[in-house]
Amino acid sequence: MNNSIFELTDVSFSYLNKFPALCAINAHVKPGEKIAIIGANGCGKSTLLHLLDGLIFPDKGSLKVFGRELTEDAFDDEKFSREFRKKVGLVFQNPDIQLFCPTVKEDIVFGPLQLGIDFKDIEKRLEELINVLGIKDLLQRSPHQLSLGEKRKVALASTLIMDPEVLLLDEPTAGLDPLTTRHIIDLLLSAHAKGKTIITSTHDLHIVEEISDTVFVFSHEKKIVKSGSSAEILKDDQLLRDHNLIHVHSHHHKGAVHVHSHQHLDHHH
Amino acid sequence: MFKKNNFIEHSIQGVLSFLKDSIFSEEVALKKGLLQSLDPRIKVLTFLVLLLQVLWLKDVRILMVFYGFCLALSCLSGVRLWFFLKRTWIFIPLFSLFVAIPAIFSFFTPGDAYATFHVGGIKFVITSQGLAVALLFVGRVLTCVSFAVLLSLTTRHFELLKVLRIFKVPQIFVMTLGMCYRYIYLFVEIIEHTYLAIKSRVGVSVHTQKGQRIVAWNIANLWTRSYQLNEDIYRAMLSRGFTGEPFVLNEFKIKTKDWLWVSWVVMVTFLFIFLNAHIKI
Ligand SMILES: Nc1ncnc2c1ncn2[C@@H]1O[C@H](COP(=O)(O)OP(=O)(O)OP(=O)(O)O)[C@@H](O)[C@H]1O
Ligand SMILES: [Mg+2]
Repeated sequence: MNNSIFELTDVSFSYLNKFPALCAINAHVKPGEKIAIIGANGCGKSTLLHLLDGLIFPDKGSLKVFGRELTEDAFDDEKFSREFRKKVGLVFQNPDIQLFCPTVKEDIVFGPLQLGIDFKDIEKRLEELINVLGIKDLLQRSPHQLSLGEKRKVALASTLIMDPEVLLLDEPTAGLDPLTTRHIIDLLLSAHAKGKTIITSTHDLHIVEEISDTVFVFSHEKKIVKSGSSAEILKDDQLLRDHNLIHVHSHHHKGAVHVHSHQHLDHHH
Repeated sequence: MFKKNNFIEHSIQGVLSFLKDSIFSEEVALKKGLLQSLDPRIKVLTFLVLLLQVLWLKDVRILMVFYGFCLALSCLSGVRLWFFLKRTWIFIPLFSLFVAIPAIFSFFTPGDAYATFHVGGIKFVITSQGLAVALLFVGRVLTCVSFAVLLSLTTRHFELLKVLRIFKVPQIFVMTLGMCYRYIYLFVEIIEHTYLAIKSRVGVSVHTQKGQRIVAWNIANLWTRSYQLNEDIYRAMLSRGFTGEPFVLNEFKIKTKDWLWVSWVVMVTFLFIFLNAHIKI
């Protein structure tokens, strides 16, 4: 058995063959790892996650999942397709896209229902999740009429309910209040404790340390410029500054102008 | 075209809020009333039966009884009478203009003269048969529309879609309907937000011509956006294991109350079939 989940060799991807979104990516993800993907806007984080979720396929290079080459044809194999969707779950950056059912409840149970999981089990998991996320009151509402944070929680629930081995999260905490952010991180950490592999893209540096052992830093050239342990990367001010993750901040301090790099502690967009 | 900027503003906002109110507010459907408490499957079936009867009815008096019945049901379901009347009578002028009014004259419905008058040297004869036909027609339209509106008011949209699925209406049709519903909402939202965005950047007094251009551009752009959205949503569905045929949750339960309602409708049906056959007009 090949001991890796994702193996990317020189993977490139461009939208409509015109807009490059990933250039020659090499990466390796082992079971049980916590990985954070950080980088400026438009550097290809979401694209990479979509690639890993088998929604788009590399133009060049090879992408292996559980030791098997991931191509469009691989999904013609129904058994593989089902296994893969069960094992890998993606929380989209834009919850509006992820939520397409008429009610929150239907949206959350959509995945497991498609995968033919017994309805009793689905209900049990649903109960647990809505309690943890505090979204019980939303169940009968229309997903598109919720606030951003509520939508994000529902989107997260709709992926977590499938209990995937690999969790891909595209900026799961963007726009959330601190307490909700905390809840979500705890949820991810407890999933990790159960042996799940977690890959998160984020701009939120102060959650990076908790949600990752390994960090991939993306550059404007849509490449991974550096990967390393989270402690090591977070110390590298120059690197972070070069990739828009922190910025130089000047302010008056006891009469003198004082310049230092600055990590936004409440970073919203 | 537009004389005042305000005109755009008022018309856009008027249309948007009308759409939102009439299509998306499920205010009535969420109330606790007679029709809301029925199983949606039973409700849709019995309403179909009632509608068919209305189409077959030949007697205006029976039709009026039906209409009264419909109004009574709406009251029992917590629909404000005035609101309901406004909702349903809005269709009547349209139909009467094109179908009912021509029908009262002797050109279309020959018969005994009821009233005669001259306009510009042409003799117009209103026949009593014509009047009866027109009255029956308007009555039918009104009653049908009222039942249909009542059904859609008291049932949540997703439940209606689900019922269609359970009754084996082809998947593609139901999905399309559902998507349409979602799209209309998104469109409304996009237009509203774009409008607010323009307003916040340019101020209230958008130059008329420029305003028109922005509106036109946005309408064109909407289709591109919706195409992109479609693709993205499809991916999101794939990601969660969608393979072409979604499974629907069927949580509907038929209770004693539903059976009472069904037997009531069956009784009414037989009564009216009997009356319809034995009453001479
Ligand atoms: N549907 C699309 N069509 C064309 N180009 C696209 C499309 N989606 C993304 N791109 C381009 O691909 C590149 C990578 O986009 P991606 O969404 O992966 O960035 P990101 O790192 O997730 O950014 P953000 O932090 O803003 O979410 C960008 O340059 C973007 O312009
Ligand atoms: Mg992104």
